[in-house]
Amino acid sequence: MLEIKDLDVFIQSSHILQDVSLSVGESELVCLVGRNGAGRTTILRSVLGFIRPDSGSIKYGGQELIGLAPYEIASLGIGYAPEGSAIFSDLTVEENIQISTWTRKTGRSGEERIETALEIFPVLRKYLRRKGDHMSGGERKMLSIARALALDPEFLVLDEPFEGLSPAIIPQVAEGVSAITKMGHSVLMAESNIAHVPEWAAKVFVIERGEIIFEGRPAEVYEHKEVLDVIGGSGNDERICTT
Amino acid sequence: MGDVVSILMSGLFSAAILFLVAAGLQLVFGVMKIFNLAVGSFYALGAFFGATLVNWAVGEGLPQPLFFFGLLIAGILLGVIGPVIERLLRPIYDRDEAFQLLLTFAIVLMLEDITMMIWGSQPRSTGSLYLIYGTVNLLGATVPVYNLLVIAAAGTIAVGIGLLLSRTAFGRVLRAAADKREMVQSLGVNTRRLYVIVFSLGVVLSTIGGALVIPVTATMSEMGVELIVEAFAVVVIGGLGSMRGALVGALVVGYVTTLSINYYPPIEMLVIYLVVIVVLVIKPRGLFGGETA
Repeated sequence: MLEIKDLDVFIQSSHILQDVSLSVGESELVCLVGRNGAGRTTILRSVLGFIRPDSGSIKYGGQELIGLAPYEIASLGIGYAPEGSAIFSDLTVEENIQISTWTRKTGRSGEERIETALEIFPVLRKYLRRKGDHMSGGERKMLSIARALALDPEFLVLDEPFEGLSPAIIPQVAEGVSAITKMGHSVLMAESNIAHVPEWAAKVFVIERGEIIFEGRPAEVYEHKEVLDVIGGSGNDERICTT
Repeated sequence: MGDVVSILMSGLFSAAILFLVAAGLQLVFGVMKIFNLAVGSFYALGAFFGATLVNWAVGEGLPQPLFFFGLLIAGILLGVIGPVIERLLRPIYDRDEAFQLLLTFAIVLMLEDITMMIWGSQPRSTGSLYLIYGTVNLLGATVPVYNLLVIAAAGTIAVGIGLLLSRTAFGRVLRAAADKREMVQSLGVNTRRLYVIVFSLGVVLSTIGGALVIPVTATMSEMGVELIVEAFAVVVIGGLGSMRGALVGALVVGYVTTLSINYYPPIEMLVIYLVVIVVLVIKPRGLFGGETA
């Protein structure tokens, strides 16, 4: 569904991404794990059209994304929930979700799409009239993913959906991500913590200093001590996202 | 009593005109984060074009009572310059505010020259056309009906902007874009097109302000620059980017101006900027600073 091939990105004179290749298949959850500054967000921003790579290709359903504007990429059906949630603070929770239904028309009605998003994160129903800036960190993460879902995408890009969340909230968000993949959406998820990678993820790519240094199943990461050393994980991590 | 009412109505008229221009400034700043000094030039263009269009139309047989609508149409027609000026501003969207001020001031100077080239340096007016609507007696004060029409038009536009921003999908997209530009792009919004629309709306608000003021005054080459100074005071008092701020700031500056002119004209600007300083000391972001659009 998404195929990134030989991607190189320079920002000023720094070689941020070097020959990066990865792919995400239909209905797959693929995780991109790396330390802060390793290049995760640069890959996501390249997919979303905010960064124009210097070479390589990013194909979505066979269509080249490089050169398209972010709004054109969104209109192809790629939803995005950014690291900081980017909730529109002046709009209510309901308006935050509704906005996706106005900006992209699909075969499904706005009501249906909003209902789907709220089924994934039912806790949001309680706060529909609340302003975005009155939500907690965990609720914002859920709202951000719900808003991306309301775009009615086939593909979701999630940047650190568990970052900064309390252990009590993480299972709710994890269940949401699990439900999204079960609905048939493909997901590319960036994470800095290997313990947040669901066991049922189809693949894990580990990135370090702009290069992919590992590709395999989540369980296989724990068999490579040198990879765990790079991303700061250990075989004893409590894996909190195992739905 | 008549004098008080006269001052009240005069202040409201000034505030109505100032609000229109400041609303254009706030809309553009709120969504695009550009402090557009050129609103003063748009205001002046509105005045020159409004006077020319109305005088021509009346000369061609337009019933005189319709001249008010002619002025509104003149302001709306000038919206066509919005996309052209917006295109000039694109390179500075993500640059430092100093570049924005420099470029928009350059546009002020360019438009001032263009205005001089087209209309020359002679003042233009619509004569006594505005008296066609007559006057009304309000508690002993004689108030031109035209002034009441302008106040009503500005009030209607203010309500319209409020409804647009709070009740429509487009308005909510505008508020979202004002808050997080990248995020709305990721939701499928073509912000380039959105900016053209917003900038053109801002232009139209300013040009309508200029067109509506001309029946009670006359065009002057420096009228745009003079208005920038007052509009700047309005947005600083009200808070940059806030529509409510534009309304309240326009009322404050409108009344301070009117009171100064009535009692001691030389201190007009002094008093306005004293108010600005007091507001900045008490509320550094203005009375409604931090609100989105």
